[in-house]
Amino acid sequence: MERMEMKGFLERVVVIKRLWLAMAVAFFVVLPFLIGKGWLSLVNEMLIMALAASGLNLMLGYTGMVSFGPAGLYAVGAYTTALFLTKTGIPFVIAIVAGPIVAGAVGAIVGWFCVRRTHVYFALLTLAFAQIIWTIIFEWYGFTGGDNGIVGMPVPDLLMSISHYYYFSLVVVVICLILLWMIGNSPFGKILQAIRENPGRTEFIGINVKRYQLIAFVLSSAFLGAAGSLFCGFSDSVFPDYAHWAKSTDMIVICLLGGMYNFAGPIIGSIVYILLSKLISSYTMYWMLFLGIIVVLLVLFMRGGIMGFISEKLSSKIQEIRLRGQYDTGS
Amino acid sequence: MRIEVIAAQALSGLSVGMVLFLIAAGLSIIFGTLKVLNLAHGSIYMVGAFICYTFTSTFAHVIGVFWWTLILAPIATALVGGLIEIFLLRRIYAEEMLYQYILTFGLILVLGEMCKLIWGVGYHTVSVPWPVNGSVPILGISFPVYNLFLIGCGIAVFVGLLFFMHYTGLGSTIRAVTYNREMANALGINVPMVYTGVFMLGCWLAGLAGTLMPPMSVVALGADMEVIIGCFIIVVIGGLGSLPGAFIGAIILGLLTSFGIFIVPRLAVAFGFILMIIILVIRPWGLMGKPE
Amino acid sequence: MILEAEGLTKSFGGLNAVDDVSLQIEEKELSSIIGPNGAGKTTLFNLLTGHTPADSGRVIFRGRDITELPPHMICRAGVGRSFQRLNIFPRLTAFDNVQVAVFSAQRKGGSLFSRAEKMLREEADEVLESVGLDDKKEVQGGLLAHGDQKRLEIGIALACQPELLLLDEPTAGMSPKETIETTGLIEKLARERGLTLIFVEHDMNVVFGIADKIKVMHQGRIVFEGKPEDVRANDEVQRIYLGEEKTQCCLR
Repeated sequence: MERMEMKGFLERVVVIKRLWLAMAVAFFVVLPFLIGKGWLSLVNEMLIMALAASGLNLMLGYTGMVSFGPAGLYAVGAYTTALFLTKTGIPFVIAIVAGPIVAGAVGAIVGWFCVRRTHVYFALLTLAFAQIIWTIIFEWYGFTGGDNGIVGMPVPDLLMSISHYYYFSLVVVVICLILLWMIGNSPFGKILQAIRENPGRTEFIGINVKRYQLIAFVLSSAFLGAAGSLFCGFSDSVFPDYAHWAKSTDMIVICLLGGMYNFAGPIIGSIVYILLSKLISSYTMYWMLFLGIIVVLLVLFMRGGIMGFISEKLSSKIQEIRLRGQYDTGS
Repeated sequence: MRIEVIAAQALSGLSVGMVLFLIAAGLSIIFGTLKVLNLAHGSIYMVGAFICYTFTSTFAHVIGVFWWTLILAPIATALVGGLIEIFLLRRIYAEEMLYQYILTFGLILVLGEMCKLIWGVGYHTVSVPWPVNGSVPILGISFPVYNLFLIGCGIAVFVGLLFFMHYTGLGSTIRAVTYNREMANALGINVPMVYTGVFMLGCWLAGLAGTLMPPMSVVALGADMEVIIGCFIIVVIGGLGSLPGAFIGAIILGLLTSFGIFIVPRLAVAFGFILMIIILVIRPWGLMGKPE
Repeated sequence: MILEAEGLTKSFGGLNAVDDVSLQIEEKELSSIIGPNGAGKTTLFNLLTGHTPADSGRVIFRGRDITELPPHMICRAGVGRSFQRLNIFPRLTAFDNVQVAVFSAQRKGGSLFSRAEKMLREEADEVLESVGLDDKKEVQGGLLAHGDQKRLEIGIALACQPELLLLDEPTAGMSPKETIETTGLIEKLARERGLTLIFVEHDMNVVFGIADKIKVMHQGRIVFEGKPEDVRANDEVQRIYLGEEKTQCCLR
């Protein structure tokens, strides 16, 4: 009796989830016809940030590696694309693809150093590398344009309009998210989660933990770089503060806000965060204060983020059914 | 390079280093005992600086106002720290590192914005107090007395802290809790109170730095971020949790930065990070820390 | 002989936790290491499984010197282990806990794009069933009752398909009923799968119930080894345990 009710409930949940997904995709596809250019641009930004945060979350939420420097890899992707576009004649799409590749390569080097340590030391290493990347971008005036950044990307005519670039971003982001989802749900992804839960135990089921952490770092970097590349084309420019620690913390907060232990978390977090920031900044110049308070409240009261909260409600409902079932059958 | 220039650079670097030492010492002590890396430590320093400015400007007519401030401002800062520890930090000691960092990061924002709210976005100055104003000739170059005073303060506080930690009952209590929290608890030590006390001590040090710095520079927003990165570098070089390490680290960073500007001005900032990376990879517990 | 240790020594700050220990374990043998707290049992395990580097001595498994190997390589070589302090994956379901170990054993860790849900389900289910947790497989590891968690841990160790299994206090914290059940389970699994077992235990009922051979450790050394009857009759062992009432009554 309980089993049937449970089965029915879970089936309903799956159907609802699929429905939501289909509706969401449809929603994003028809969006340009529903809202103005300004809002569409904002949504584009959300999509790109959702990709960046999801990339970060592969390290953060799945593997439990706290990195202080995702913005560094994001900026590497952005600048790679920018430099290819402005200094060479290669096609736009190749320049975009180059971003994640270079970011992944840089991630391999940085990651190799960082995964040798854990916890605080790992986090500080990522911070140091991110700051070095920032410094290089900021100071190497001749190559990167330094403080002035690089402005004016030769974007192909087809992608010049806001709605066209929006569709381009949508396609790229969806493809990347699908890849991330597959990785997260693969045996590799499960092992990453095991590493998060208990690295010592994972070592003793025969896993070379450092190697897996490094691979997670590289994959994460690649997706961050992809987001950076997209943003480069989107905003037609790149600046050193793409690598600033403030951007890193934005990404971390997005993951926390949406829920680190859930695939949809960074996506939801990105939407909510960008909306909130635009909304609050339009009313007051103390947006940072609100952000700080939100962050503190999140950590104290809602660590699982938005998706964590929803998950909890779901599992208590499941628990309720289970208990009711036990009651009925007297077990 | 002439010896006078070297000496001047060295002294300048050292005086900045001493201010950073005070902040870093607080950061290190807090990490050593509470096992939390207080990202907001630079913000607490900034709060201390603003409190210093408020005291000195409000009571500017009082004779020796700066010296009174030197006593009161750090205490006020420590009280702010106490509130933070009791109401916020306590709840996350048992949690994973990530949440501790995000909480302290949130504090950076809150404290920074509160400073903006209360004191505005401009910069403020505090004049160098008598009798440490003026300058002395050192090797032919005119050197501010106040900078020498800072160096003296740094050394005095270092010695004082060492004495406190190793030769007083309270210091032993703190060291016991640092070494083994459960054991200390079992021995009847009120660990939560020690935690609060240590955090307040760390904030007191930051407040002290915040009071000593303004006469040399300005009081403005952004001071928090300027110092916190330097502090990370110092505690990594010296070893998280080690007081002598923080002292040595501060000297190294101070000298590295002031001389680095001569050699490769644009990348001087990166030197600190490169050193930090080298230490973290080769010897993460720093020069004077203990391996876990 | 499946496992041999020669002259293993490990000291911490001047104190010899393990002092020149040598042992031989025969294949399919169920042996137990007993001793008062602080005798060095867990440290010895840590030396055998590579979690702690030995100061001196060698460990040879199936003729291969595994002394210098990192823990994950030792596990790959066929040595499994459960830990004294609970070592599971709290936020993963019981099923995932075991499946992850199966993935590793079957070298599927490198697959990034296949659905984990659909892979190696029977193998994972089989392990869960063998430790009696198949009805709880969707429950998060951290939410299971203590006894179930300990059995989950044994399950994880089993899923690695070890030839030699080291169990560090597998019944710690269990009620008497659970202890008997788990002991029976361990013995059954070991005999069925032809495992060689070394387990550390405090509960003498467990030890004398299933051990073929017993080694007694005291202050870092193995002071006696032999069959259960011999251990029971030995005066020195009785003396070592004097004062530990629970064990005393069982040794009698």
